[in-house]
Amino acid sequence: MSGFGVAFRIGVELVAALVVGVGAGLLLDRWLGTTPWFLIVFFFLGAAAGVLNVYRAASGIGLAEAEGAPAPSDGEPEEQDDDWPGGTGSDRP
Amino acid sequence: MANPLHQFEIQVVAPIHFGDVNASLTNSGVFMLITVAAVTLFLMFGMRNRRLVPGRWQSMAELSYEFIAGMVRDNVGNEGRRYFPFIFSLFMFILFGNLIGLVPYSFTFTSHIIVTFAMAMFVFLGVTVIGIVRHRLKFFSYFLPKGVPLVMAPLLIPIEIMSYLSRPISLSIRLFANMMAGHTMMKVFAGFVVPLGILGGWAPLSIDVALTAFEFLVAFLQAYVFTILTCIYLHDAIHLH
Repeated sequence: MSGFGVAFRIGVELVAALVVGVGAGLLLDRWLGTTPWFLIVFFFLGAAAGVLNVYRAASGIGLAEAEGAPAPSDGEPEEQDDDWPGGTGSDRP
Repeated sequence: MANPLHQFEIQVVAPIHFGDVNASLTNSGVFMLITVAAVTLFLMFGMRNRRLVPGRWQSMAELSYEFIAGMVRDNVGNEGRRYFPFIFSLFMFILFGNLIGLVPYSFTFTSHIIVTFAMAMFVFLGVTVIGIVRHRLKFFSYFLPKGVPLVMAPLLIPIEIMSYLSRPISLSIRLFANMMAGHTMMKVFAGFVVPLGILGGWAPLSIDVALTAFEFLVAFLQAYVFTILTCIYLHDAIHLH
């Protein structure tokens, strides 16, 4: 994947969580009439979630590992079926 | 100069109304139908006369099948096989939609956020339902990472829920923004070709040639990214962490 693609993905991750946080804060404020307290709280929660998303995207829980290695399955071994539709499977673990 | 955003305008092709509900067939809907027909024809034609040594069309059909089958196998595991038909349809629909949108005078339905958001929301809700059906209440332990002191839980659980809820947004914005930005850029440069005349017009024209090649890459890459993130979300719902 190109560097531009990675950069764009990380930018979107950061903004998306912020959008959810601010949106949830505004809706709760309108519903409960507590302007602006929920907006303030959820803005910071959304920002934290955005940083968490970026950290996860950058540290490889996501696209980076999907390039080659299979996703970690927490030590539970999966039996391999032979009739899986993935074709030969010779080049796959 | 021609309006570079004119290509995104929704036009009604056949007005259909059910009472107050406006269900008119638009150019967006027409190109979705064309995409579905193209995918169906591609696979039907590819597998028409099956040979042990595949021809060109059969090779392409088999290649796309094995590409997604390998992706599901590597990223979801063996439990993911029953969701293969959905993931394969999703990939082919987005890929063909992106590619057909590159044909001049056509319409790119993936450049509208409501279309990509509907697809992302369907994936998100479907994956959440699969997780809840599989793990019942244990699914909600997904929002508390392992090894976290309980004192931190009231702070971390809302952050994790936010992060989870942001998935359909980031998924839909990524596809929509890439398609819309690329198509707008191409039209902006194309709008300079004729006004700059026979001497200066070559510069934006050559940029447009390069952008067309780049757009083919983006069309494939964004279909790939959308599909692989669906696989990763499915993996999370099935395995929890």
